Amino acid sequence: MVSLARKNLLEDIPRFLVAQAGILFAVSLITLQTGIFMGFSQSTVKLINNSSADLWVTSQSLVQLELTLPIPVSELIKARNVSGVARAEGLLFSGAQWYPPQGEMARIRVLGFDPSGQLYRPPEIVEGNLKELHQPYTVMINTTDEDSLNVSETGVEVQMNSLPAKVVGMTEGNSSMISNPFIMTSLKNANAYLNAGRRSQIECQLPQGSSQLQCINKFEEIEEPANAQPSSEPRDLVASDIITFILVKAEPEMELSSLKQKLEKNLTQVTAYTQQELIEKTKTYWQQRTGIGFILGLGALVGVIVGVVVVSQILYSSVADHLKEFGTLKAMGASAGMIYRIIIEQALWMAVLGYLPAMILCFGVAYVINNNQGQLLVISAESAIAIFAVTIIMCIGSAIFAIQKVNRVDPAIVFKA
Amino acid sequence: MLFQSSPQSNFPHAQSASQISICAEHITMFFRSGRQEIPILKELNWETNRGSIALLMGPSGSGKTTFLSILAGLLTPTEGNVYLLGQEITKLSRKKRTAFRRQHIGFIFQNFNLFPALTAAENVEIILNIKGLQGKQARYEAQLLLEQVGLELYGNQKPRDLSGGQKQRVAIARALAGSPPLIMADEPTAALDSQSGHQITELLRRLAKEKGTTVLIVTHDPRIQDIADYITYLEDGRFKPTN
Repeated sequence: MVSLARKNLLEDIPRFLVAQAGILFAVSLITLQTGIFMGFSQSTVKLINNSSADLWVTSQSLVQLELTLPIPVSELIKARNVSGVARAEGLLFSGAQWYPPQGEMARIRVLGFDPSGQLYRPPEIVEGNLKELHQPYTVMINTTDEDSLNVSETGVEVQMNSLPAKVVGMTEGNSSMISNPFIMTSLKNANAYLNAGRRSQIECQLPQGSSQLQCINKFEEIEEPANAQPSSEPRDLVASDIITFILVKAEPEMELSSLKQKLEKNLTQVTAYTQQELIEKTKTYWQQRTGIGFILGLGALVGVIVGVVVVSQILYSSVADHLKEFGTLKAMGASAGMIYRIIIEQALWMAVLGYLPAMILCFGVAYVINNNQGQLLVISAESAIAIFAVTIIMCIGSAIFAIQKVNRVDPAIVFKA
Repeated sequence: MLFQSSPQSNFPHAQSASQISICAEHITMFFRSGRQEIPILKELNWETNRGSIALLMGPSGSGKTTFLSILAGLLTPTEGNVYLLGQEITKLSRKKRTAFRRQHIGFIFQNFNLFPALTAAENVEIILNIKGLQGKQARYEAQLLLEQVGLELYGNQKPRDLSGGQKQRVAIARALAGSPPLIMADEPTAALDSQSGHQITELLRRLAKEKGTTVLIVTHDPRIQDIADYITYLEDGRFKPTN
């Protein structure tokens, strides 16, 4: 059939461009809002995604990645001896203060890991190398956090909590939309920065009438002398020191669910999560238990609603402009189905021709933003396909209003001069 | 040439039903304006034979376009029946009336009502598409129809590039698409200069005679009278007797 829909669209190019600009705006709004929402969701679990661990072992009290209680290093030692564990590494993760040589102090998140380990590595080191983190009191920062940390190059010396720190490297793709800037350092350094004066012990007792020993982790603060000087090198971790997570790599062909059970049984007051479980738990917390998730979700929904309204108006006005043509078709015997097909075809053309430039625009915006601000905007292939589907549904949904308008057209209109 | 005013319907009694192409019985039409009912057509009885050219004339506001719309099945009369080719279309559902128009009626409009985004050939082709002819066959048929109206060289032109007379020729080619037995034309020469108007009326006459098509023309252009087999005058919603 002659494509009246496509030809009508392209007949008046300036008008077509204005209409497509409206759809481009609507699709871009949806893409950016959902991109921010996804960027936010992913940024909450970036740390987990950067790890190759099969299991994350942590306190039973864990609410989400950044909200949990510490566990003693002794649990890490025990985990290494559980059968089925190929490798176990500690991860220390907590807040601290950052005092740059110039500018204001900042609240930061310190991430201590084993630079020689295999289960956690910063995603992309753009300056310096991991070995330098073995040096005492050395740290790496994320390039997108340079402004908030008032540090623009490596070699700068700052103060973290009460101890000195030297910036020896820069990373990329490690910033979080909701957290304070991440500072990466070795587990030993992190222990010095975060755990000075804190230690743990395990307290076990045999309840009356039970043959099962029950143990709990206890933590205590040790008061340090006021004039205490930092040692030239942080000490090695001992069993009573505390960490936040134990990253576990299972032996090949070891079933993760049974390894989880083993770890939970052999370690004290811990829960083991697969990577996916921890991601889900963390994402769910941010999306459902905080206003941020709600607001960003609402933004995405508003994007869709605005899109529907914009597309509806454009399509409706386009149909209104060609009402006499539709009346002519009806008078000449075009069935309702034929008329609907023309309107829906027009809606589909508008969807496709609005979607493509909108996506190009959004990928460009995402590229610029992510390069300058860290990965705030995520447009994955899946989300691009989903947005295409939403655009199609939105345009066809909008066509319903136009179809109603045409349905009301009296074919006798054709005889009016 | 036979001039006949206000043909009184006695269909299907007096004449053979197979000879009668269009028959209207007791057509009355009111339009509602608020609480008032305004009479537009009053007890009209009318018929015309197959293969004839019938003219419906009258001043503006006489109700002739409303009558044409009723005969074409585009409007439903307040009272009365319309038979087209022996089928009572006033009793058909809207869907069946649409299908009837698709199969049996071609339309020509005062302002051509061509699709401005389509070429002359596509304007014809889309109606062939509606009538079930698709693809190359439809394109070939459209080209043949344009040849019949003398526009074989203008198939790729858009309506804006054609003169008024050429536009109306495209409209006629479109009305002929699918060879409908009935053609209904509303003021086909009103927007044309006298020379173009004359050419269009000649074309209509020739095609009607060649194809045996019944043509009903609503007009107040006296120049068309020459081609008519029947002329009916309508004034204030009633047929007006003439000498």
